[in-house]
Amino acid sequence: MKLLFPSPDFDDVVAAVCHGSATEAEMRALNELLRSNANARDEYLLRIELHARLAFDPDLFPQSDMAAMNADNRTNIVPPNLVVPPRKRRLVRVLALAACLMLIAGGTVFWFKWSTARNGGTSAAVAMLTRTVDARWSPKTHSLRVDSALEPGSLQLESGLAQVVFYSGARLVIEGPAELRLVSANEAVCISGRVLAGVPTPARGFRLRTSQLSVVDLGTSFGINASQSRTEVHVFKGKVELQPGKAGEQSLSEGQAALVQGSELPQLMAANPEAFAAMFEFQERSLASEALRYDQWRLSSAQLNRDPSLVLRFDFEDLSDQDWTLPNKAERNGPAEGGIIVGCQRAEGRWREKPALEFQSVNDRVRLDVPNEFRAMTLSVWVCLKGLDREFNSLFMSDGFDPGTVHWLIRRDGVLGLTVFGPHFGKFQILASPPVLSLENLGMWQHLAVVVDGRSQEVVHYVNGSPVSRHALKIGPPFRVGSAELGNWNARSGPNPEPSLIRNLSGSLDEFELFSRALSDAEIRELYLKGKPEL
Amino acid sequence: MSTDSTNRFGDSNAAQQRFLSLFLRSEREIFRYVAVLVPNVTDAEDIVQQTAMALWEKFDAYDPSQPFTPWACRFAVNKARQWIERRQRWQALLDHGLAEELAQRRQELQPEFEQRLKHLEGCLGKLPEGQRSVVEGYYYERASIQTLARRSGRSEAATYKMLQRIRHALLVCVGGQAKPEVA
Repeated sequence: MKLLFPSPDFDDVVAAVCHGSATEAEMRALNELLRSNANARDEYLLRIELHARLAFDPDLFPQSDMAAMNADNRTNIVPPNLVVPPRKRRLVRVLALAACLMLIAGGTVFWFKWSTARNGGTSAAVAMLTRTVDARWSPKTHSLRVDSALEPGSLQLESGLAQVVFYSGARLVIEGPAELRLVSANEAVCISGRVLAGVPTPARGFRLRTSQLSVVDLGTSFGINASQSRTEVHVFKGKVELQPGKAGEQSLSEGQAALVQGSELPQLMAANPEAFAAMFEFQERSLASEALRYDQWRLSSAQLNRDPSLVLRFDFEDLSDQDWTLPNKAERNGPAEGGIIVGCQRAEGRWREKPALEFQSVNDRVRLDVPNEFRAMTLSVWVCLKGLDREFNSLFMSDGFDPGTVHWLIRRDGVLGLTVFGPHFGKFQILASPPVLSLENLGMWQHLAVVVDGRSQEVVHYVNGSPVSRHALKIGPPFRVGSAELGNWNARSGPNPEPSLIRNLSGSLDEFELFSRALSDAEIRELYLKGKPEL
Repeated sequence: MSTDSTNRFGDSNAAQQRFLSLFLRSEREIFRYVAVLVPNVTDAEDIVQQTAMALWEKFDAYDPSQPFTPWACRFAVNKARQWIERRQRWQALLDHGLAEELAQRRQELQPEFEQRLKHLEGCLGKLPEGQRSVVEGYYYERASIQTLARRSGRSEAATYKMLQRIRHALLVCVGGQAKPEVA
């Protein structure tokens, strides 16, 4: 067999080589042609290049996961669950690769560090105010915002409803007028008023006291109506243990209630859910409104993912215990890959059903790599801080101190800082806001953003959608990210970095964006409004 | 309180991350490099997988001041050679120094390829729906010709030819001067 160029035979053989179906004779003939004809060789290389790009560059087929599924549904040839979209396939391959690497490394299967020890908690808070309806607080209780962290002390609600979630997981709905004293993450005192408690299994043992008695919860839902002289306990689900002042312990089961007056023995009766109807309704309504808000956010997320200037976006939606990659949700993501989670724990995000990633140990981090160069960039993150434990607490930091890269961080004193490194080693500019974050913000979800604009030579810091400081930027573009970390920093120093080089974040993230342009004040405001936990 | 063992895990984890990060960034280029020698998709994937293992085993020897991709491609070419040695058909294609010649020439043509193929995504977008679904099915979804034929109601031979025609149309679109594929 002899091949000519150009010829239909040449076309067929090249196609067969790509398909893997060329015969030995065809391959031999192609070999001879390509060695003797430079034009044929160049044309062959071009065709192979096209073929290889089509095969190994899934970005060429935007939004095709959906299209593939639809096609299959339409014709019913392959059940949809048998089609693994290529992006997922790649993830599977990467995971398989990583699994092999771990075996080679000699059984290093501790990729995840599920550490539970919290280093250096700075807040004494034991609970959080998560939701209110028409709540009026007594002047003695500072006006409380939803998401405020609550330290041990008294809460006096004059009217309305409020939900308090203890760090143990126990949830109390309070109906004003009521006075509640928080003791610890696992204990509160109801001095007067009505309280509805929901205690999930992990919080079993939560103790609610009144003047007359102490109720130890055994994983239930129960209500209390208390005053100085009498306490009613109604059990709606599960079981509680009553520990009256003098008399012996008594347990109450579902549907039972007890009335304790002075030092008398508990008087048994039937539980009366009607007396707590408003609170039950509030519980249900709050769950529904939360789910609604989460849905709205997801809808606006899908729109945001299509922004052509979006380089990198993590929504932390696909976290599972086994998964240590964070997919980049930007649909026009170009060369920026997803992130790799090291350590960290799954936590609750802005809404109960929304996952977040919690950073607490010095090892916790998300590694990522963004090869692009930028004339301008915008960084945006939703963060729930647990503390400002380090001198510098990393939000998003490029490794080391390379030219053109940036470090975005929170200083211990609540200052937002952006360091931009100049084109030569050793030259950099620190753009620091006034102290804008304080201990009162701990435990609340907040939106932070910074805009670096190479054209107008300006850097602007934002908190919850509002600019907090503007700075003239003396270093010009291009700006870079390169290898970087969310929630930590790789100083590229030796194995035992000095303390100032340890910059891990203490808190959770549930959304992160990097744009390749300077967003306007209005756009940052919109990011905040679309993502803020409550309307 | 970090003990030796936690340090060791830490170091090894850090190395794995560094490796994965570098590898994933270079992966597409490694694929294209391998495809010059073995264009068939599944075989190329096998070779890249073996390359990744070899790279990780030798990762200690990697000098971070040097770019990763060329270092990785040297391993890829060795793995491809080993793979070819066991397959007579592919030896016939790459014998008499053609493998080296192709790799070398591709290097020279690289800037021109980049220039032309940056239009590829736009050209894909311009394809009529029927053609686009075939090229997408074959390359993205990795469906077999058989499956694609059944879906579109064409014969397998017609589907295979259609794929050839689409590639030709794409080449014309990205560069204009592709030699006519008279398929």
